[in-house]
Amino acid sequence: MESDEGDEQQQEAERLPLSQRPEWSDVTPIPQDDGPNPVVPIAYKPEFSETMSYFRAVYYSDERSSRSFQLTKEAICLNPGNYTVWHFRRQIIETLHTDLQDELAFVGRIAKSNSKNYQHHRRWVAEKLGTGAVNKELQFTKKMLSLDAKNYHAWSYRQWVLQALGGWEDELDYCQILLGEDIFNNSAWNQRYFVVTRSPLLGGLIAMRDSEVNFTIEAILGNPENESPWRYLRGLYKDDTESWINDPRISSVCLKVLSTKSNYVFALSTLLDLICHGFRPSEEFREAINALNTPDSGPLDSDLGRAICRVLECVDPLRCNYWLWRKSKLPLTVSSQ
Amino acid sequence: MEPATENEWDRLSSSSSDGEEQAASDGSSSQFNRQQHVAFLMMMYESLPHHYQYQEINRITLAHFAISGLCLLGALDRVRVDKDAVSDWVLSLKAHPSNKADLTNGEFYGFHGSPSSQLHPDDNGVLMHNGSNLASTYCALAILKAVGYNFANIDSKSILTSMRNLQQHDGSFMPIHFGAEKDLRFVYCAAAICFLLEDWSGMDRERAKAYILNCQSYDGGFGLTPGSESHGGGTYCAVASLRLMGFIEDNVLSKNMSSSIIDLPLLLSWCLQRQAADGGFQGRANKPSDTCYAFWIGSVLRMLGGYNLIDKEALRGFLLTCQSQYGGFGKCPGDLPDLYHSFYGYTAFSLLEEPGLNPLCAELGMTEFSALGI
Repeated sequence: MESDEGDEQQQEAERLPLSQRPEWSDVTPIPQDDGPNPVVPIAYKPEFSETMSYFRAVYYSDERSSRSFQLTKEAICLNPGNYTVWHFRRQIIETLHTDLQDELAFVGRIAKSNSKNYQHHRRWVAEKLGTGAVNKELQFTKKMLSLDAKNYHAWSYRQWVLQALGGWEDELDYCQILLGEDIFNNSAWNQRYFVVTRSPLLGGLIAMRDSEVNFTIEAILGNPENESPWRYLRGLYKDDTESWINDPRISSVCLKVLSTKSNYVFALSTLLDLICHGFRPSEEFREAINALNTPDSGPLDSDLGRAICRVLECVDPLRCNYWLWRKSKLPLTVSSQ
Repeated sequence: MEPATENEWDRLSSSSSDGEEQAASDGSSSQFNRQQHVAFLMMMYESLPHHYQYQEINRITLAHFAISGLCLLGALDRVRVDKDAVSDWVLSLKAHPSNKADLTNGEFYGFHGSPSSQLHPDDNGVLMHNGSNLASTYCALAILKAVGYNFANIDSKSILTSMRNLQQHDGSFMPIHFGAEKDLRFVYCAAAICFLLEDWSGMDRERAKAYILNCQSYDGGFGLTPGSESHGGGTYCAVASLRLMGFIEDNVLSKNMSSSIIDLPLLLSWCLQRQAADGGFQGRANKPSDTCYAFWIGSVLRMLGGYNLIDKEALRGFLLTCQSQYGGFGKCPGDLPDLYHSFYGYTAFSLLEEPGLNPLCAELGMTEFSALGI
């Protein structure tokens, strides 16, 4: 039987060396063969070396027993990054038919303290359990994300769960909740795009576009300095630039932000991109940019694209070279009307 | 990566050139302390503190950081590194097929990450436990290049033929035969391996390209898998792979961008937006700056011909706040150093053309001299 949660913490404090455990007395540990001139040798702690030496012994003899199973747990706790140990553990699970729900619980505990190396193993267990595991897996990733809402591994695992096992019903709501907690969470925006474009329960990007544009514009107006919704807005018109420049809401939000005269860098760059793709700005835009009164910009260039670049050189100085380059790439005949 | 404790770094500071006691948290300086970095790498090369035991399975990656790092610092010929001993150690990690038939048995015959996962063949000479993998193989070849090993002596055929077993139907790669995450990192490793061995029979480039294109996100960057969030490391792997495979020409930003297979203007905008107010580069939008992205993102810009579009002074300033007084770089300002961030700190300074550092081949993550076999 798999030992329970408290055991992993106790192990550090109470660990009996394997060489002193009677149930291991018949096994000869295999020390690591580092060769005559090891490069970057690691100063291993004794319990680490010993555990791995015993692991090598049972791995070499392919002993798929319950003591090996317990040993893989100890080795994983010491070194969750060792994929060889995880692999052998899977082989033992297949042979001994150990409980898969317990296994999910074990991986969950490892994942909490080591958020990187568990996915493949967890995926393997979940696949064996099939679509019945979907709720548990969504719960698991939700828990991981509550610890770190941008955990890349948790998000990529969650995306796998949705695509392989289903459970799309509440995903858009989940994104909504996360964005409510932190509108700057780019991972949540990315997940939203994932759901909108791939969920079999929604109508696809074009069907969802209208409501998504409205949602995104509200987010922009709330925090115009937030890069994520600006990128998302552009993404809603991926491969359809024509619709993008013709949607009045896009240029309108740029104008609104410009009129506030604060946090307008993304508004300006979006407007620049619109113009480069054929959007013809009305006089309002020129007036709004004029009103910014940025230092060093001098009289506004008659070409609005060039004028925008010059403003950006001032107000986004980190990317000054880029705006100069953009300006140099502008077609010479673009005019403001 | 686990940072060491301050006790461990006290050991290092006693070897520093000025020998003065300094506050542990303040490592900033107005210059790149090349000598200190060489001393740091030599310490790591000779012995890694026990915290690195979590990286144990990937020890060859740590070796790559140390040795290729010394190479970048222009110090490899002048320190106590026995190049023959290094190449012997690396070659000892090669997985060997017992016969030709093995090459199509589904396993990969590359390099192991460490002796710990490498068990010797059984009494019949059969390698029952093959832990060799793509990432370790890339690192092995990088080290062998750094020490000037003659590649004609490498059993390329076993590597390349068996590597095909790892490529998936969608073009992605598993890193190891018994399965693991499949993502852009291993597509990159495969492409770099083929490039270094000068033989593309190890992979189906068209399929790999298709997978990479599927990884470009709506915002222009690349995620590690299709649908995942755009990320500095993913973007590097995507662009470097396409460059190595010959699908993106040199200096593409100065050429006709509209014929590119990826959305270049959007990618460029995304990359440049990754430079944050503190001058450093972030790996994803709205995340803190981190030393290593100066390489991952900086390299992408270099490969596209747009490195001069960044604010180099601001980046340099940020990186110097991540420089440790003990040598090496940490992840964020004031952090204790680790090998990973140190290596990528050195590559970043090479991109910035820091005097005394060797020029970097961005696509391969090693010095140009090593890449060219000089």
